[in-house]
Amino acid sequence: MMSEPGVLTIKPQAGPDDVLLRIIDLTLHFPTYRGVLGRQVGGIRAVDGVNLEVRRGRTLGLVGESGCGKTTTGRVILRLYDPTGGRIEFDGEDITHIQGKKLRRMRARMQMIFQDPQACLNPRMTVGSIIAEPLNEHRALKGKEKEKRTRELLDAVGLNPKFANRYPHEFSGGQRQRIGIARALALNPDFIVCDEPIAALDVSIQAQVVNLLKDLQEQFSLTYLFISHDLSMVRHLCEDVAVMYLGKVMELGPRDLIYKDPMHPYTKALLSAVPVPDPRVERARQRIILKGDLPSPANPPSGCRFRTRCPVAFDRCAAEQPAWRKVAGNRWVACHRAE
Amino acid sequence: MLNYAIRRLLMAVPTLFLISLMIFSLLKLAPGDPLSQLPLTIPPEVREKMRAALGVDEPLIVQYLLWLKQFFVIEPLRGFDILFGTHLSDGMQRIISWQTRGPVFSMIAERLPQTLLVVGLAYIVGVLIAVPIGIVSAYKQYSVFDQIGTFLSMLGLAVPPFFSGVLAILIFAVYLDWLPTIYNTNLIVNSWSNFTEQFLQMAMPVMVLAVQTIASISRYLRSSMLDNLEQDYVRTARAKGMGENVVVFIHVLRNSMIPVVTVITLGLPSVFGGAIVTEQIFRVNGIGQLLITAIYANDVPTVQTLAFIFAVLIVVFNLIADLLYGVLDPRIRYD
Amino acid sequence: MLRMVSLLAGAGVASLVATPALAERGTDGVVNILSWQAPSIMNPYLSGGEKDTDAASLVLEPLASYDENGELFPRLAAEIPTVENGGVAKDLKSITWKLKPGLKWSDGTTVTAKDVVFTANYCMDPKGGCAALARFQGVDKVEALDDLTVKVTFKELTVVPYTLFVAMWSPIIQAKQFADCLGTKAPTCTEANFYPVGTGPFVVANFKPNDAVQLKANPNYRDPNKPAFAGVNFKGGGDALGAARAVLQTSEYDYAGMLQVAPDVLSKMEKGGKGKLLSVFGTNVETLFMNLTDPSASLPPEERSTDKHPHPILSDVRVRQALSMALDRARLSEIGYGSMGKPTCDFVPAPPIFAAGNTECLKQDIPGAVKLLDEAGWKPGPDGIREKDSKKLKLTFVTTTNATRNQFQAIIKQWWHEIGVDVELRSLDASVFFSSDPSSPDTYQKFYADVQMWTNYSDAPDPGEYVATYTCNKAPLPDKQWQGSNVPRYCDTNYDALVKELGKTAAIEKRAEIVKKLNTILSDSYAIMPLVWRSSVSATSKTLGGYVGSGDSRFWNAQDWYRRK
Ligand SMILES: Nc1ncnc2c1ncn2[C@@H]1O[C@H](COP(=O)(O)OP(=O)(O)O)[C@@H](O)[C@H]1O
Ligand code: SF4
Ligand SMILES: [Mg+2]
Repeated sequence: MMSEPGVLTIKPQAGPDDVLLRIIDLTLHFPTYRGVLGRQVGGIRAVDGVNLEVRRGRTLGLVGESGCGKTTTGRVILRLYDPTGGRIEFDGEDITHIQGKKLRRMRARMQMIFQDPQACLNPRMTVGSIIAEPLNEHRALKGKEKEKRTRELLDAVGLNPKFANRYPHEFSGGQRQRIGIARALALNPDFIVCDEPIAALDVSIQAQVVNLLKDLQEQFSLTYLFISHDLSMVRHLCEDVAVMYLGKVMELGPRDLIYKDPMHPYTKALLSAVPVPDPRVERARQRIILKGDLPSPANPPSGCRFRTRCPVAFDRCAAEQPAWRKVAGNRWVACHRAE
Repeated sequence: MLNYAIRRLLMAVPTLFLISLMIFSLLKLAPGDPLSQLPLTIPPEVREKMRAALGVDEPLIVQYLLWLKQFFVIEPLRGFDILFGTHLSDGMQRIISWQTRGPVFSMIAERLPQTLLVVGLAYIVGVLIAVPIGIVSAYKQYSVFDQIGTFLSMLGLAVPPFFSGVLAILIFAVYLDWLPTIYNTNLIVNSWSNFTEQFLQMAMPVMVLAVQTIASISRYLRSSMLDNLEQDYVRTARAKGMGENVVVFIHVLRNSMIPVVTVITLGLPSVFGGAIVTEQIFRVNGIGQLLITAIYANDVPTVQTLAFIFAVLIVVFNLIADLLYGVLDPRIRYD
Repeated sequence: MLRMVSLLAGAGVASLVATPALAERGTDGVVNILSWQAPSIMNPYLSGGEKDTDAASLVLEPLASYDENGELFPRLAAEIPTVENGGVAKDLKSITWKLKPGLKWSDGTTVTAKDVVFTANYCMDPKGGCAALARFQGVDKVEALDDLTVKVTFKELTVVPYTLFVAMWSPIIQAKQFADCLGTKAPTCTEANFYPVGTGPFVVANFKPNDAVQLKANPNYRDPNKPAFAGVNFKGGGDALGAARAVLQTSEYDYAGMLQVAPDVLSKMEKGGKGKLLSVFGTNVETLFMNLTDPSASLPPEERSTDKHPHPILSDVRVRQALSMALDRARLSEIGYGSMGKPTCDFVPAPPIFAAGNTECLKQDIPGAVKLLDEAGWKPGPDGIREKDSKKLKLTFVTTTNATRNQFQAIIKQWWHEIGVDVELRSLDASVFFSSDPSSPDTYQKFYADVQMWTNYSDAPDPGEYVATYTCNKAPLPDKQWQGSNVPRYCDTNYDALVKELGKTAAIEKRAEIVKKLNTILSDSYAIMPLVWRSSVSATSKTLGGYVGSGDSRFWNAQDWYRRK
């Protein structure tokens, strides 16, 4: 399960400032407990050797089936979980193990927008205090100034600033997601993990929220990690795409290259399922149906972890883990067939 | 909310009437005789006269209506008289216990202080100890602390007070000779030494009762905390860069306390009801002991009055719990 | 119930009564009494329950009481009236009591004959529900001849005139305090019922029903040096075991009574040396009662368990005798009561002069029992259970729920099984079993079973009333609301005639002879089978001096108690 030393060959693209976030060989294993006394019996390898880089001011899309570890990856990056192994670099600084004050200061710069806009807001706090809370902590803003900032933020996400005294349950789903976004923006972050921010919303509102995210990116020069299982939305929003399967990234590269010419069998399978607007192409589209279920992350297959469902797997795939290799320019892939 | 409370109270009135009728009928249906504890040497003719003097043989409807009148008219008038020095209830027949021939409400008033002191204090002590235990067990789930806590809670819930009480007596009174086994209800606390005496005599019953509260409330809070610790809003708080103290005490604890406060409120009527077994063991002789001796003696007026008061308390505290929920949880609104 | 010291316990008592230090009133602090059944009321006329009458005896006094030997001694009376001293009329139709001169109530007023007359009026009021009414039955009038003299006239010849105003059940109450408490008003006098003015060594200072009573020395008690204790702290609640522990193990209390606790547990506690146990043998006898009438549920309710239908099995005396022969009373006594009980064949075990002292029932005789059943025509069936005319020899056996009694049931069932009798056991809550509710099917008086077990006793040293409980006319019947003391429905004209004769016999030796005869007649009928003579057990701390655990009340000599230094 250790990745190949190919990792070491990663080089900053255009100077160190260009890459805002780089994660190397990141792993996170959730311990599992059993019995009345809760003995630890093993681990779920939710994230198992992930390599990514996100360039400043751009959006990296992270796609994959549900349960493959996308959310967990996002959370480890924000240090909401302590990584089991690997390394997280943010703006040139190793944040893998920072703690206490340092960690909290760093958090002001990295934020998260959650999938469930209801659950992520404390039901007993007003919208105003949810947004303003970190301002005390990190900005030492007082009374009037704080109120002003709260109003500005609500305004920026398209909500009536008068709503500050209401509780989250009084809002609709789309409004709640806007509150979640305003909250994430409160501390002027550089980087935001958007964890399926529209998946729980009505289709009619999805576009509004996506557009809002785009506008804000421009306005505040934000960098996004956009987690989604919706490939068309990723295509619409992201400059780069990473494809994840069972705790590992299979393929990473610029959006257009990936969508036009997927190299990894898994990416190919995913893309074959996306309907294409052009009817001629759509008719010719060959769907690759994946057989079998997603294996358990507690006990992933040996060698390539996609091999149990890969249509082009061969004997080497079971014996040897494919290396994370750079194929061309910015493209990375992990597959024996792609050599 | 006020409208809601008033509506609920009005709705409770017919319920309570029905309850009072049911209590009355059940007591009357139950076999037993207020004279069964008297010596067998008292001849039947005399017993007959004694029963007649108690009013046992009056028609049931007369007995019930008399009780209603006594409970809802005479006793409140009596309370009014005591408060304002009037004499409205003079000469009226209050609810009289068949055992003592004394007014039931005087006995309740006599016993309420020790019950509230011992059972109430045990409840408070129990809750105060349970809350930190619940927090730590949830926050450090599966830690040694949590596992010891789980084990002790199971023990606390499984061991009945008639066992733990006697065990405590054997250890602290018989072997160590530190604590008295008999609660002196006549002790007046007006000096330091009286206070110490009061403290010592309360120690064992409070301990025995608090163990039960600690066990159940800490378990409750633990699971409520665990539910909340998993919530996204907790991650939000952490992601905001809030310190762990703020996250645990402001965000998680406040949300976790909502159901726990309800449970605590719903448990309060039992504080007034006393603790039958523990009061007996340590001879605290509060409301619980009053009830059980009245039941044994078939003292229908006392049992009826106590049972009805408990019913009222349960209704009232249910309402309070609902209203508290509304106050604590902004998602709930009563209109 | 009257407690009398048995000869065995007598030695222990004697050492306790060792010469009290000559003390002044109120110099020995407080004596702590623990009673797991706390007093509910201090007026014995409205209770009759021992827990109340015992406590009240610290405050209220009768004209005369029984001492530890079951002998009368004067309290408020100047002397015990007898035929010899002219106090009892020669025709046995009246008794004249003379009060001690100068007696004071605890409030300082003088005790007069009017108080005694008032007491009689109070209890004899038909609406008052007086528990001691039976003691006043047969009284024609009670009159004050002068300030110190009271004359009680009976309607008929009364050979034992010491019932009203004698012993703790019938003390003198103050006319002034209870003047407005007659008849239906009796229960409303809470203040008087909780804080009676009395003549006894103590006065109630604080009464908390069923919890605690605080008493202080009566400042107007007739002996200026008594009581030695300044007060009594009387606490109730809990159980008998805890009460024993508080005296014998933690020494928090000086006295605990009615200790119905397993004998081995008590003696182990006593070994700690902090207190002493005292067994007092009264007249309590644990007894089996045979139903001589048919309790079959198929009978109409007005005929079930009445003399209209004799019992299909138990009306044969041979069967009853066989059942008795199968019992080993000594084993039962040892298992259930240890040194606190004695096997007995007498339902009148005391006082000694009245006790028949029969012993032939004590030997278990299984072969004899088997032979008797064979003779009676009950032949063993295929399953070992005897049958006659295709009817099984099967009995239902009921008692109250109580560890010792239920153990007895199991043992007896086994013995009876050995002689081919099938037994079905049932146990009922005491408050249900001893209820006088005529609508309940489970009362001891209705006797809807074949065999019952409970303790019977006499509440006067003279067993005249007690033996009369088994006359034919006392059988519970539906038209008497099932009330009646003759629970086995025993009926023997010889027995009734002897009881009548006893009612006319005044000489004590003659009376004793008749009682012994009655006892033997009833025992030989096997309608009731006395098993164990039970004592009442109490515990006293080592520092409580002067306690004598008998007499009519457990606290009959509280005026003489003192603190051992
Ligand atoms: N707190 C947790 N404890 C244990 N297992 C977890 C936890 N959170 C997620 N997992 C497991 O980790 C794997 C990845 O989950 P997740 O990151 O939520 O996937 P995705 O977001 O891609 O749907 C899943 O198998 C999930 O069951
Ligand atoms: S390494 Fe083998 S199994 Fe894995 S994707 Fe490539 S071909 Fe399929
Ligand atoms: Mg997810």
